[in-house]
Amino acid sequence: MFSDHTAAKDAGATIIVEALERVYSSGLRAVDGVNLAVAAGEIYGFLGPNGAGKSTTVRILTTLLRPSGGRARVAGYDVVEQASQVRRSIGVALQEAALDPLMTGRELLELQGALHGLRRAESKLRADELLERVDLAPAADRLLNTYSGGMRRRLDLAMALVHRPDVLFLDEPTTGLDPVSRASLWSELRRLNEEGTTIFLTTQYLEEAEQLADRVGIIDHGKIVAEGTPQDLGRLVGEPGLYVKLIDQSQCDLARQLLAVHGAVSDREAGGLTIRTALGARAIAPIVRTLDEAQIEVDAVEVEEPTLDDVFLAVTGHRAEDVAGGEQS
Amino acid sequence: MSTRGLAYTGGVGFALWRRSLLELARVRGGLLPTTVAPLIFLLGSLGQFGRLDQLVGFPTTSYIAWLVPLSCLQAAGFAGGATGANLARDIEAGWFDRLLSSPAPRPLLILGPVMAAVTRCLVPVTVIFIAGLLLGPGLTGGAFGLFMLYLAAISFSIVASLWGITLALRAKSQQVGPLIQNGVFIAVFLSTAYTPLPFLKGWLAVAAPYNPVTYVLQMGRQATVSGIEPSWAHTWPGLLALAGMMLFFGLLALRQLRRVDR
Repeated sequence: MFSDHTAAKDAGATIIVEALERVYSSGLRAVDGVNLAVAAGEIYGFLGPNGAGKSTTVRILTTLLRPSGGRARVAGYDVVEQASQVRRSIGVALQEAALDPLMTGRELLELQGALHGLRRAESKLRADELLERVDLAPAADRLLNTYSGGMRRRLDLAMALVHRPDVLFLDEPTTGLDPVSRASLWSELRRLNEEGTTIFLTTQYLEEAEQLADRVGIIDHGKIVAEGTPQDLGRLVGEPGLYVKLIDQSQCDLARQLLAVHGAVSDREAGGLTIRTALGARAIAPIVRTLDEAQIEVDAVEVEEPTLDDVFLAVTGHRAEDVAGGEQS
Repeated sequence: MSTRGLAYTGGVGFALWRRSLLELARVRGGLLPTTVAPLIFLLGSLGQFGRLDQLVGFPTTSYIAWLVPLSCLQAAGFAGGATGANLARDIEAGWFDRLLSSPAPRPLLILGPVMAAVTRCLVPVTVIFIAGLLLGPGLTGGAFGLFMLYLAAISFSIVASLWGITLALRAKSQQVGPLIQNGVFIAVFLSTAYTPLPFLKGWLAVAAPYNPVTYVLQMGRQATVSGIEPSWAHTWPGLLALAGMMLFFGLLALRQLRRVDR
Protein backbone atom coordinates (compact mmCIF):
# COMPACT_ATOMS: atom_id res chain seq x y z
CA MET A 1 0.00 0.00 0.00
CA PHE A 2 1.05 3.60 -0.46
CA SER A 3 2.13 5.62 2.47
CA ASP A 4 -0.44 7.88 4.11
CA HIS A 5 1.85 10.75 3.31
CA THR A 6 1.66 10.12 -0.41
CA ALA A 7 -2.04 9.37 -0.34
CA ALA A 8 -2.78 12.60 1.47
CA LYS A 9 -0.40 14.65 -0.58
CA ASP A 10 -1.60 13.33 -3.90
CA ALA A 11 -5.30 12.90 -3.27
CA GLY A 12 -7.00 13.19 -6.65
CA ALA A 13 -3.85 12.37 -8.60
CA THR A 14 -4.33 10.09 -11.58
CA ILE A 15 -0.77 8.83 -11.60
CA ILE A 16 1.11 8.32 -8.34
CA VAL A 17 4.62 6.96 -8.32
CA GLU A 18 6.52 6.30 -5.14
CA ALA A 19 10.17 5.26 -4.88
CA LEU A 20 9.96 3.45 -8.20
CA GLU A 21 12.99 1.39 -9.17
CA ARG A 22 13.96 -0.82 -12.04
CA VAL A 23 17.21 -2.70 -12.18
CA TYR A 24 17.91 -4.75 -15.30
CA SER A 25 19.60 -8.14 -15.14
CA SER A 26 22.75 -6.45 -16.48
CA GLY A 27 22.83 -4.45 -13.25
CA LEU A 28 21.80 -1.23 -14.97
CA ARG A 29 19.66 0.83 -12.59
CA ALA A 30 17.41 2.45 -15.19
CA VAL A 31 14.93 3.92 -12.73
CA ASP A 32 16.28 4.87 -9.33
CA GLY A 33 13.73 5.99 -6.76
CA VAL A 34 11.37 8.04 -8.89
CA ASN A 35 8.53 9.85 -7.09
CA LEU A 36 5.90 11.82 -8.94
CA ALA A 37 2.20 12.60 -8.99
CA VAL A 38 0.14 13.69 -11.99
CA ALA A 39 -3.23 15.32 -11.43
CA ALA A 40 -6.31 14.41 -13.45
CA GLY A 41 -6.51 16.52 -16.59
CA GLU A 42 -2.87 17.50 -16.48
CA ILE A 43 -0.24 17.19 -19.21
CA TYR A 44 2.92 15.98 -17.55
CA GLY A 45 6.11 16.20 -19.54
CA PHE A 46 8.82 13.71 -18.68
CA LEU A 47 12.01 15.11 -20.05
CA GLY A 48 15.41 13.56 -20.35
CA PRO A 49 18.06 12.39 -22.78
CA ASN A 50 18.35 8.88 -24.20
CA GLY A 51 19.09 6.36 -21.48
CA ALA A 52 17.80 8.61 -18.69
CA GLY A 53 15.00 6.22 -17.65
CA LYS A 54 11.98 7.79 -19.36
CA SER A 55 10.89 4.82 -21.42
CA THR A 56 11.52 2.36 -18.60
CA THR A 57 9.27 4.44 -16.34
CA VAL A 58 6.56 4.50 -19.00
CA ARG A 59 6.85 0.75 -19.53
CA ILE A 60 6.34 0.22 -15.81
CA LEU A 61 3.37 2.60 -15.66
CA THR A 62 1.76 0.88 -18.65
CA THR A 63 2.25 -2.57 -17.03
CA LEU A 64 4.73 -3.75 -19.67
CA LEU A 65 7.55 -4.06 -17.17
CA ARG A 66 7.60 -4.98 -13.50
CA PRO A 67 9.28 -2.57 -11.15
CA SER A 68 12.16 -3.87 -9.07
CA GLY A 69 10.99 -1.71 -6.18
CA GLY A 70 8.55 0.99 -5.20
CA ARG A 71 4.91 1.41 -6.15
CA ALA A 72 2.87 3.05 -8.86
CA ARG A 73 -0.85 3.62 -9.28
CA VAL A 74 -2.49 4.69 -12.51
CA ALA A 75 -6.14 5.72 -12.68
CA GLY A 76 -6.55 4.43 -9.14
CA TYR A 77 -5.09 0.98 -9.78
CA ASP A 78 -1.79 -0.58 -8.76
CA VAL A 79 0.31 -1.31 -11.85
CA VAL A 80 1.41 -4.71 -10.52
CA GLU A 81 -1.55 -5.97 -8.50
CA GLN A 82 -4.28 -4.56 -10.74
CA ALA A 83 -2.54 -4.54 -14.10
CA SER A 84 -5.63 -5.55 -16.02
CA GLN A 85 -7.68 -2.63 -14.67
CA VAL A 86 -4.79 -0.28 -15.46
CA ARG A 87 -4.76 -1.53 -19.07
CA ARG A 88 -8.47 -0.83 -19.42
CA SER A 89 -7.96 2.76 -18.28
CA ILE A 90 -4.96 3.77 -20.34
CA GLY A 91 -4.07 4.45 -23.94
CA VAL A 92 -0.49 3.85 -24.96
CA ALA A 93 1.57 5.05 -27.90
CA LEU A 94 5.10 3.82 -27.44
CA GLN A 95 8.34 4.96 -29.03
CA GLU A 96 8.49 4.28 -32.77
CA ALA A 97 4.89 3.58 -33.72
CA ALA A 98 4.67 -0.20 -33.78
CA LEU A 99 2.19 -0.79 -36.54
CA ASP A 100 1.79 -3.82 -38.76
CA PRO A 101 2.88 -2.67 -42.23
CA LEU A 102 0.70 -5.31 -43.88
CA MET A 103 -2.55 -3.92 -42.48
CA THR A 104 -4.53 -0.84 -43.39
CA GLY A 105 -5.20 1.99 -40.98
CA ARG A 106 -8.83 0.98 -40.69
CA GLU A 107 -7.98 -2.69 -40.04
CA LEU A 108 -5.55 -1.73 -37.31
CA LEU A 109 -8.09 0.47 -35.57
CA GLU A 110 -10.69 -2.28 -35.75
CA LEU A 111 -8.20 -4.80 -34.32
CA GLN A 112 -7.42 -2.39 -31.50
CA GLY A 113 -11.16 -2.04 -30.87
CA ALA A 114 -11.49 -5.82 -30.58
CA LEU A 115 -8.58 -5.94 -28.13
CA HIS A 116 -10.43 -3.44 -25.98
CA GLY A 117 -13.70 -5.32 -26.11
CA LEU A 118 -15.60 -3.19 -28.62
CA ARG A 119 -18.18 -5.05 -30.67
CA ARG A 120 -17.50 -5.21 -34.42
CA ALA A 121 -20.09 -2.57 -35.38
CA GLU A 122 -18.95 -0.31 -32.56
CA SER A 123 -15.34 -0.83 -33.57
CA LYS A 124 -16.06 0.16 -37.18
CA LEU A 125 -17.86 3.33 -36.11
CA ARG A 126 -15.08 4.31 -33.73
CA ALA A 127 -12.47 3.63 -36.41
CA ASP A 128 -14.28 5.97 -38.83
CA GLU A 129 -14.58 8.63 -36.15
CA LEU A 130 -10.89 8.46 -35.23
CA LEU A 131 -9.70 8.36 -38.83
CA GLU A 132 -11.58 11.63 -39.40
CA ARG A 133 -10.20 13.09 -36.22
CA VAL A 134 -6.56 12.48 -37.13
CA ASP A 135 -7.06 13.40 -40.80
CA LEU A 136 -6.40 9.91 -42.08
CA ALA A 137 -9.79 9.14 -43.60
CA PRO A 138 -8.51 9.39 -47.19
CA ALA A 139 -5.72 6.92 -46.38
CA ALA A 140 -7.84 4.60 -44.24
CA ASP A 141 -7.76 1.68 -46.65
CA ARG A 142 -4.13 1.95 -47.65
CA LEU A 143 -1.51 -0.45 -46.28
CA LEU A 144 0.64 1.03 -43.53
CA ASN A 145 3.80 0.60 -45.57
CA THR A 146 2.57 3.50 -47.72
CA TYR A 147 2.15 5.87 -44.74
CA SER A 148 4.62 8.64 -43.92
CA GLY A 149 6.16 8.94 -40.45
CA GLY A 150 3.67 11.64 -39.48
CA MET A 151 0.71 9.56 -40.66
CA ARG A 152 1.96 6.58 -38.67
CA ARG A 153 2.25 8.70 -35.54
CA ARG A 154 -1.27 10.05 -35.99
CA LEU A 155 -2.62 6.54 -36.49
CA ASP A 156 -0.69 5.37 -33.43
CA LEU A 157 -2.35 8.13 -31.43
CA ALA A 158 -5.75 7.19 -32.83
CA MET A 159 -5.19 3.56 -31.80
CA ALA A 160 -4.39 4.68 -28.27
CA LEU A 161 -7.72 6.50 -28.18
CA VAL A 162 -9.99 3.71 -29.45
CA HIS A 163 -11.43 2.91 -26.02
CA ARG A 164 -11.58 6.54 -24.80
CA PRO A 165 -8.92 6.14 -22.10
CA ASP A 166 -8.73 8.39 -19.03
CA VAL A 167 -4.95 8.50 -19.19
CA LEU A 168 -2.78 8.63 -22.26
CA PHE A 169 0.89 7.62 -22.22
CA LEU A 170 2.96 8.88 -25.11
CA ASP A 171 6.60 7.87 -25.38
CA GLU A 172 8.46 10.38 -27.52
CA PRO A 173 5.48 10.87 -29.84
CA THR A 174 7.14 13.33 -32.20
CA THR A 175 10.64 11.91 -32.45
CA GLY A 176 11.67 11.90 -36.08
CA LEU A 177 8.74 14.00 -37.29
CA ASP A 178 9.05 17.07 -39.46
CA PRO A 179 8.00 20.42 -37.91
CA VAL A 180 4.59 20.46 -39.63
CA SER A 181 3.69 16.94 -38.45
CA ARG A 182 4.97 17.79 -34.98
CA ALA A 183 2.82 20.91 -34.75
CA SER A 184 -0.21 18.97 -35.97
CA LEU A 185 0.30 16.31 -33.29
CA TRP A 186 0.78 18.95 -30.59
CA SER A 187 -2.47 20.57 -31.59
CA GLU A 188 -4.29 17.22 -31.37
CA LEU A 189 -2.79 16.55 -27.94
CA ARG A 190 -3.93 19.96 -26.67
CA ARG A 191 -7.43 19.21 -27.96
CA LEU A 192 -7.45 15.83 -26.20
CA ASN A 193 -6.31 17.44 -22.98
CA GLU A 194 -9.05 20.07 -23.22
CA GLU A 195 -11.52 17.17 -23.43
CA GLY A 196 -10.25 15.94 -20.06
CA THR A 197 -7.62 13.33 -20.94
CA THR A 198 -4.63 13.19 -18.61
CA ILE A 199 -1.46 12.96 -20.69
CA PHE A 200 1.91 11.61 -19.59
CA LEU A 201 4.38 12.52 -22.26
CA THR A 202 8.05 11.63 -22.51
CA THR A 203 10.21 13.68 -24.77
CA GLN A 204 13.77 14.57 -25.56
CA TYR A 205 12.63 17.88 -27.00
CA LEU A 206 12.74 20.73 -24.54
CA GLU A 207 10.55 22.80 -26.80
CA GLU A 208 7.90 20.09 -26.81
CA ALA A 209 7.76 20.01 -23.02
CA GLU A 210 7.56 23.80 -22.90
CA GLN A 211 4.81 23.92 -25.51
CA LEU A 212 2.61 21.19 -24.11
CA ALA A 213 3.24 20.37 -20.49
CA ASP A 214 1.54 21.89 -17.48
CA ARG A 215 4.34 20.46 -15.39
CA VAL A 216 7.65 18.93 -16.30
CA GLY A 217 9.77 16.34 -14.54
CA ILE A 218 13.40 16.14 -15.59
CA ILE A 219 14.96 12.71 -15.28
CA ASP A 220 18.66 11.96 -15.49
CA HIS A 221 20.37 8.66 -14.71
CA GLY A 222 17.09 7.25 -13.39
CA LYS A 223 16.42 10.03 -10.89
CA ILE A 224 14.12 13.01 -11.10
CA VAL A 225 16.44 15.97 -10.78
CA ALA A 226 13.87 18.78 -11.12
CA GLU A 227 10.12 19.12 -11.33
CA GLY A 228 7.66 21.98 -11.73
CA THR A 229 5.94 24.17 -14.26
CA PRO A 230 8.18 25.28 -17.12
CA GLN A 231 8.12 28.76 -15.53
CA ASP A 232 9.10 27.40 -12.09
CA LEU A 233 11.91 25.45 -13.63
CA GLY A 234 13.04 28.51 -15.53
CA ARG A 235 13.60 30.27 -12.23
CA LEU A 236 16.07 27.55 -11.25
CA VAL A 237 18.45 28.96 -13.81
CA GLY A 238 18.46 32.37 -12.23
CA GLU A 239 17.70 35.80 -13.62
CA PRO A 240 16.55 36.24 -17.19
CA GLY A 241 19.07 37.59 -19.63
CA LEU A 242 19.11 40.49 -22.03
CA TYR A 243 21.14 39.97 -25.14
CA VAL A 244 22.62 43.15 -26.59
CA LYS A 245 24.32 43.16 -29.98
CA LEU A 246 26.54 46.12 -30.76
CA ILE A 247 27.21 47.49 -34.22
CA ASP A 248 30.87 48.21 -33.43
CA GLN A 249 32.60 45.19 -31.84
CA SER A 250 35.49 47.36 -30.62
CA GLN A 251 33.14 49.04 -28.14
CA CYS A 252 32.43 45.80 -26.31
CA ASP A 253 34.90 46.39 -23.46
CA LEU A 254 33.49 49.84 -22.75
CA ALA A 255 29.91 48.56 -22.94
CA ARG A 256 30.74 45.74 -20.52
CA GLN A 257 32.07 48.23 -17.95
CA LEU A 258 29.10 50.56 -18.32
CA LEU A 259 26.45 47.84 -18.16
CA ALA A 260 27.85 46.21 -15.02
CA VAL A 261 25.63 48.53 -12.97
CA HIS A 262 22.55 46.80 -14.44
CA GLY A 263 23.56 43.20 -13.74
CA ALA A 264 26.11 40.46 -14.40
CA VAL A 265 27.55 40.90 -17.87
CA SER A 266 29.03 38.12 -19.95
CA ASP A 267 30.31 37.88 -23.52
CA ARG A 268 28.28 35.72 -25.81
CA GLU A 269 29.79 36.22 -29.23
CA ALA A 270 31.75 38.87 -31.10
CA GLY A 271 29.93 42.15 -30.52
CA GLY A 272 27.34 40.57 -28.25
CA LEU A 273 26.81 40.72 -24.49
CA THR A 274 24.37 39.07 -22.14
CA ILE A 275 23.23 40.97 -19.05
CA ARG A 276 21.55 38.92 -16.30
CA THR A 277 19.05 41.08 -14.45
CA ALA A 278 16.01 40.44 -12.29
CA LEU A 279 14.22 43.25 -14.15
CA GLY A 280 14.08 41.21 -17.34
CA ALA A 281 12.46 43.17 -20.18
CA ARG A 282 12.06 46.23 -17.95
CA ALA A 283 15.83 46.70 -18.05
CA ILE A 284 15.84 47.29 -21.80
CA ALA A 285 15.20 51.06 -21.58
CA PRO A 286 17.86 51.85 -18.97
CA ILE A 287 20.41 49.66 -20.73
CA VAL A 288 19.80 51.29 -24.11
CA ARG A 289 19.91 54.72 -22.44
CA THR A 290 23.28 53.91 -20.83
CA LEU A 291 24.75 52.82 -24.13
CA ASP A 292 23.24 55.77 -26.00
CA GLU A 293 24.75 58.24 -23.55
CA ALA A 294 28.16 56.66 -24.24
CA GLN A 295 27.49 56.89 -27.99
CA ILE A 296 27.62 53.11 -28.36
CA GLU A 297 25.33 52.05 -31.20
CA VAL A 298 23.06 49.10 -30.60
CA ASP A 299 22.16 46.68 -33.38
CA ALA A 300 19.62 44.53 -31.45
CA VAL A 301 18.28 43.82 -27.99
CA GLU A 302 16.52 40.58 -27.10
CA VAL A 303 15.06 39.20 -23.89
CA GLU A 304 16.38 35.68 -23.23
CA GLU A 305 13.96 33.71 -21.07
CA PRO A 306 15.62 30.63 -19.58
CA THR A 307 14.76 27.50 -21.56
CA LEU A 308 14.39 23.99 -20.24
CA ASP A 309 17.72 23.34 -21.90
CA ASP A 310 19.22 25.87 -19.51
CA VAL A 311 17.36 24.19 -16.66
CA PHE A 312 18.68 20.81 -17.69
CA LEU A 313 22.21 22.19 -17.78
CA ALA A 314 21.74 23.88 -14.42
CA VAL A 315 20.42 20.81 -12.61
CA THR A 316 22.48 18.07 -14.26
CA GLY A 317 25.66 19.85 -15.19
CA HIS A 318 25.42 18.72 -18.80
CA ARG A 319 23.24 19.47 -21.80
CA ALA A 320 20.48 17.04 -22.74
CA GLU A 321 22.08 16.19 -26.05
CA ASP A 322 25.43 15.45 -24.39
CA VAL A 323 24.21 12.11 -23.07
CA ALA A 324 24.72 9.41 -25.62
CA GLY A 325 21.96 6.94 -26.33
CA GLY A 326 22.54 3.25 -26.35
CA GLU A 327 21.48 2.24 -22.91
CA GLN A 328 18.02 0.84 -22.61
CA SER A 329 16.03 3.79 -21.43
CA MET B 1 -17.35 -17.42 -18.22
CA SER B 2 -20.19 -14.98 -18.88
CA THR B 3 -21.74 -14.50 -22.32
CA ARG B 4 -20.03 -11.12 -22.58
CA GLY B 5 -16.72 -12.68 -21.56
CA LEU B 6 -17.12 -15.36 -24.22
CA ALA B 7 -18.00 -12.75 -26.84
CA TYR B 8 -14.92 -10.73 -25.89
CA THR B 9 -12.65 -13.79 -25.98
CA GLY B 10 -14.08 -14.80 -29.35
CA GLY B 11 -13.70 -11.26 -30.67
CA VAL B 12 -10.05 -11.01 -29.69
CA GLY B 13 -9.29 -14.51 -30.99
CA PHE B 14 -11.01 -13.75 -34.30
CA ALA B 15 -9.26 -10.39 -34.66
CA LEU B 16 -5.82 -11.91 -34.11
CA TRP B 17 -6.59 -14.82 -36.43
CA ARG B 18 -7.80 -12.36 -39.09
CA ARG B 19 -4.52 -10.51 -38.82
CA SER B 20 -2.63 -13.72 -39.57
CA LEU B 21 -4.90 -14.42 -42.55
CA LEU B 22 -4.28 -10.92 -43.90
CA GLU B 23 -0.55 -11.54 -43.63
CA LEU B 24 -0.88 -14.82 -45.50
CA ALA B 25 -2.89 -13.12 -48.21
CA ARG B 26 -0.59 -10.11 -48.54
CA VAL B 27 2.87 -11.66 -48.36
CA ARG B 28 3.42 -13.10 -51.80
CA GLY B 29 5.13 -16.43 -51.54
CA GLY B 30 4.91 -16.40 -47.75
CA LEU B 31 3.99 -20.08 -47.71
CA LEU B 32 6.58 -21.11 -50.27
CA PRO B 33 9.39 -22.02 -47.85
CA THR B 34 7.18 -24.22 -45.68
CA THR B 35 5.79 -25.91 -48.80
CA VAL B 36 8.86 -26.22 -50.98
CA ALA B 37 11.30 -27.49 -48.32
CA PRO B 38 9.22 -30.56 -47.35
CA LEU B 39 8.52 -31.26 -51.04
CA ILE B 40 12.25 -31.27 -51.75
CA PHE B 41 12.80 -33.51 -48.73
CA LEU B 42 10.09 -35.80 -50.10
CA LEU B 43 11.60 -36.06 -53.55
CA GLY B 44 15.18 -36.24 -52.28
CA SER B 45 14.42 -38.95 -49.75
CA LEU B 46 12.51 -40.89 -52.36
CA GLY B 47 15.60 -40.92 -54.55
CA GLN B 48 17.94 -41.76 -51.67
CA PHE B 49 15.96 -44.47 -49.90
CA GLY B 50 13.30 -45.45 -52.45
CA ARG B 51 14.30 -49.11 -52.53
CA LEU B 52 13.77 -49.63 -48.81
CA ASP B 53 10.23 -50.73 -49.61
CA GLN B 54 11.71 -53.89 -51.10
CA LEU B 55 13.00 -55.02 -47.69
CA VAL B 56 11.22 -57.93 -46.18
CA GLY B 57 8.90 -56.73 -43.45
CA PHE B 58 8.66 -53.15 -44.70
CA PRO B 59 5.05 -52.20 -44.01
CA THR B 60 4.30 -50.93 -47.52
CA THR B 61 5.32 -51.70 -51.05
CA SER B 62 5.48 -48.00 -51.90
CA TYR B 63 8.19 -45.99 -50.16
CA ILE B 64 6.51 -42.75 -51.11
CA ALA B 65 3.47 -43.90 -49.10
CA TRP B 66 5.83 -44.02 -46.12
CA LEU B 67 7.24 -40.57 -46.86
CA VAL B 68 4.11 -38.53 -47.64
CA PRO B 69 2.85 -38.40 -44.02
CA LEU B 70 6.40 -37.50 -42.91
CA SER B 71 6.54 -34.59 -45.35
CA CYS B 72 3.08 -33.45 -44.29
CA LEU B 73 4.21 -33.46 -40.66
CA GLN B 74 7.41 -31.61 -41.55
CA ALA B 75 5.41 -28.97 -43.42
CA ALA B 76 3.01 -28.60 -40.50
CA GLY B 77 5.92 -28.35 -38.08
CA PHE B 78 7.71 -25.72 -40.16
CA ALA B 79 4.47 -23.73 -40.55
CA GLY B 80 3.91 -23.88 -36.79
CA GLY B 81 7.50 -22.92 -36.07
CA ALA B 82 7.19 -19.97 -38.46
CA THR B 83 4.48 -18.45 -36.27
CA GLY B 84 6.97 -18.47 -33.39
CA ALA B 85 9.49 -16.68 -35.59
CA ASN B 86 6.78 -14.19 -36.56
CA LEU B 87 6.03 -13.58 -32.90
CA ALA B 88 9.72 -12.83 -32.32
CA ARG B 89 9.49 -10.32 -35.18
CA ASP B 90 6.40 -8.76 -33.56
CA ILE B 91 8.23 -8.52 -30.23
CA GLU B 92 11.23 -6.85 -31.85
CA ALA B 93 9.04 -4.43 -33.80
CA GLY B 94 7.09 -3.44 -30.67
CA TRP B 95 3.79 -4.79 -31.99
CA PHE B 96 3.57 -7.33 -29.17
CA ASP B 97 3.82 -4.49 -26.63
CA ARG B 98 0.63 -3.10 -28.14
CA LEU B 99 -1.08 -6.43 -27.46
CA LEU B 100 0.40 -6.65 -23.97
CA SER B 101 -0.79 -3.17 -23.08
CA SER B 102 -4.35 -4.06 -24.03
CA PRO B 103 -6.70 -5.62 -21.48
CA ALA B 104 -6.98 -8.84 -23.54
CA PRO B 105 -6.30 -11.89 -21.34
CA ARG B 106 -2.68 -12.88 -21.86
CA PRO B 107 -3.36 -16.51 -22.91
CA LEU B 108 -5.38 -15.13 -25.84
CA LEU B 109 -2.23 -13.49 -27.13
CA ILE B 110 -0.79 -16.98 -27.56
CA LEU B 111 -3.98 -18.26 -29.12
CA GLY B 112 -3.56 -15.84 -32.03
CA PRO B 113 -0.26 -17.32 -33.27
CA VAL B 114 -1.53 -20.85 -32.60
CA MET B 115 -4.61 -20.27 -34.75
CA ALA B 116 -2.32 -18.77 -37.37
CA ALA B 117 -0.23 -21.95 -37.27
CA VAL B 118 -3.27 -24.11 -37.93
CA THR B 119 -4.29 -21.92 -40.86
CA ARG B 120 -0.78 -21.72 -42.25
CA CYS B 121 -0.19 -25.47 -42.16
CA LEU B 122 -3.28 -26.41 -44.16
CA VAL B 123 -1.93 -25.13 -47.48
CA PRO B 124 1.47 -26.91 -47.53
CA VAL B 125 0.03 -30.10 -46.03
CA THR B 126 -2.64 -30.25 -48.73
CA VAL B 127 -0.18 -29.43 -51.53
CA ILE B 128 2.24 -32.14 -50.34
CA PHE B 129 -0.51 -34.69 -49.87
CA ILE B 130 -1.88 -34.10 -53.37
CA ALA B 131 1.64 -34.15 -54.85
CA GLY B 132 2.30 -37.41 -53.00
CA LEU B 133 -0.90 -38.99 -54.28
CA LEU B 134 0.01 -37.98 -57.82
CA LEU B 135 3.34 -39.77 -57.38
CA GLY B 136 1.77 -43.06 -56.55
CA PRO B 137 0.51 -44.08 -53.16
CA GLY B 138 -3.17 -44.63 -52.79
CA LEU B 139 -5.28 -43.50 -49.92
CA THR B 140 -5.20 -46.94 -48.28
CA GLY B 141 -6.63 -45.67 -45.00
CA GLY B 142 -9.71 -44.14 -46.55
CA ALA B 143 -11.54 -41.19 -44.98
CA PHE B 144 -10.54 -42.23 -41.45
CA GLY B 145 -6.86 -42.40 -42.40
CA LEU B 146 -7.06 -39.04 -44.15
CA PHE B 147 -8.73 -37.52 -41.10
CA MET B 148 -5.97 -38.91 -38.87
CA LEU B 149 -3.27 -37.52 -41.16
CA TYR B 150 -4.79 -34.05 -41.04
CA LEU B 151 -5.42 -34.29 -37.29
CA ALA B 152 -1.79 -35.31 -36.74
CA ALA B 153 -0.49 -32.53 -38.99
CA ILE B 154 -2.68 -29.78 -37.53
CA SER B 155 -1.94 -30.85 -33.97
CA PHE B 156 1.78 -31.04 -34.71
CA SER B 157 1.65 -27.50 -36.12
CA ILE B 158 0.14 -26.41 -32.78
CA VAL B 159 2.94 -28.16 -30.87
CA ALA B 160 5.58 -26.54 -33.09
CA SER B 161 3.87 -23.18 -32.71
CA LEU B 162 3.87 -23.46 -28.91
CA TRP B 163 7.55 -24.43 -29.01
CA GLY B 164 8.27 -21.43 -31.24
CA ILE B 165 6.24 -19.09 -29.04
CA THR B 166 8.13 -20.25 -25.95
CA LEU B 167 11.49 -19.56 -27.56
CA ALA B 168 10.32 -16.25 -29.04
CA LEU B 169 9.06 -15.02 -25.66
CA ARG B 170 12.28 -16.14 -24.05
CA ALA B 171 14.71 -14.67 -26.59
CA LYS B 172 12.59 -11.68 -27.75
CA SER B 173 14.68 -11.72 -30.92
CA GLN B 174 14.27 -12.97 -34.46
CA GLN B 175 17.64 -14.65 -34.11
CA VAL B 176 15.76 -17.48 -32.46
CA GLY B 177 14.10 -18.42 -35.80
CA PRO B 178 16.66 -21.03 -36.91
CA LEU B 179 16.65 -22.62 -33.45
CA ILE B 180 12.86 -23.01 -33.62
CA GLN B 181 13.01 -24.72 -37.01
CA ASN B 182 16.01 -26.86 -36.02
CA GLY B 183 14.03 -28.10 -33.04
CA VAL B 184 11.18 -29.16 -35.30
CA PHE B 185 13.59 -30.80 -37.74
CA ILE B 186 15.42 -32.73 -35.03
CA ALA B 187 12.19 -33.87 -33.36
CA VAL B 188 10.99 -35.32 -36.66
CA PHE B 189 14.38 -36.73 -37.64
CA LEU B 190 14.84 -38.65 -34.37
CA SER B 191 11.74 -40.72 -35.04
CA THR B 192 10.67 -43.35 -37.53
CA ALA B 193 10.93 -40.69 -40.19
CA TYR B 194 12.54 -42.86 -42.91
CA THR B 195 12.21 -46.45 -41.67
CA PRO B 196 10.01 -48.37 -39.23
CA LEU B 197 11.25 -49.10 -35.70
CA PRO B 198 12.46 -52.68 -36.43
CA PHE B 199 14.76 -51.33 -39.16
CA LEU B 200 16.46 -48.75 -36.98
CA LYS B 201 19.90 -49.41 -35.51
CA GLY B 202 22.11 -48.10 -32.72
CA TRP B 203 21.31 -44.90 -30.84
CA LEU B 204 18.38 -44.03 -33.10
CA ALA B 205 16.77 -47.40 -32.38
CA VAL B 206 17.01 -46.49 -28.69
CA ALA B 207 15.82 -42.89 -29.08
CA ALA B 208 12.95 -43.27 -31.54
CA PRO B 209 10.57 -45.27 -29.28
CA TYR B 210 10.83 -42.49 -26.68
CA ASN B 211 10.19 -39.77 -29.23
CA PRO B 212 6.48 -38.87 -29.24
CA VAL B 213 6.75 -37.85 -32.90
CA THR B 214 7.19 -41.57 -33.74
CA TYR B 215 3.62 -42.18 -32.61
CA VAL B 216 2.28 -39.04 -34.30
CA LEU B 217 3.79 -40.32 -37.54
CA GLN B 218 2.22 -43.71 -36.98
CA MET B 219 -1.13 -42.02 -36.51
CA GLY B 220 -0.74 -40.07 -39.76
CA ARG B 221 0.56 -43.07 -41.72
CA GLN B 222 -2.77 -44.77 -41.35
CA ALA B 223 -3.75 -42.68 -44.40
CA THR B 224 -1.25 -44.11 -46.89
CA VAL B 225 0.69 -47.06 -45.45
CA SER B 226 -1.09 -50.31 -46.14
CA GLY B 227 0.73 -52.08 -43.31
CA ILE B 228 -0.57 -49.61 -40.73
CA GLU B 229 -4.26 -50.18 -41.07
CA PRO B 230 -6.70 -47.68 -39.54
CA SER B 231 -7.32 -48.77 -35.99
CA TRP B 232 -7.58 -47.44 -32.46
CA ALA B 233 -4.32 -49.22 -31.62
CA HIS B 234 -2.50 -47.09 -34.21
CA THR B 235 -4.36 -43.96 -33.14
CA TRP B 236 -4.31 -43.60 -29.38
CA PRO B 237 -0.53 -43.49 -28.88
CA GLY B 238 -0.40 -40.61 -31.35
CA LEU B 239 -3.27 -38.78 -29.69
CA LEU B 240 -1.63 -39.25 -26.31
CA ALA B 241 1.71 -38.02 -27.65
CA LEU B 242 0.12 -34.94 -29.18
CA ALA B 243 -1.88 -34.16 -26.04
CA GLY B 244 1.25 -34.54 -23.93
CA MET B 245 3.33 -32.31 -26.18
CA MET B 246 0.58 -29.69 -26.40
CA LEU B 247 0.24 -29.66 -22.63
CA PHE B 248 4.00 -29.51 -22.05
CA PHE B 249 4.75 -26.78 -24.58
CA GLY B 250 1.52 -24.94 -23.79
CA LEU B 251 2.51 -24.70 -20.12
CA LEU B 252 6.01 -23.64 -21.10
CA ALA B 253 4.63 -20.91 -23.36
CA LEU B 254 2.25 -19.67 -20.67
CA ARG B 255 5.06 -19.66 -18.12
CA GLN B 256 7.21 -17.64 -20.47
CA LEU B 257 4.32 -15.26 -21.15
CA ARG B 258 3.91 -14.66 -17.43
CA ARG B 259 7.57 -13.70 -17.26
CA VAL B 260 7.51 -11.40 -20.26
CA ASP B 261 7.31 -8.26 -18.10
CA ARG B 262 10.36 -9.17 -16.00
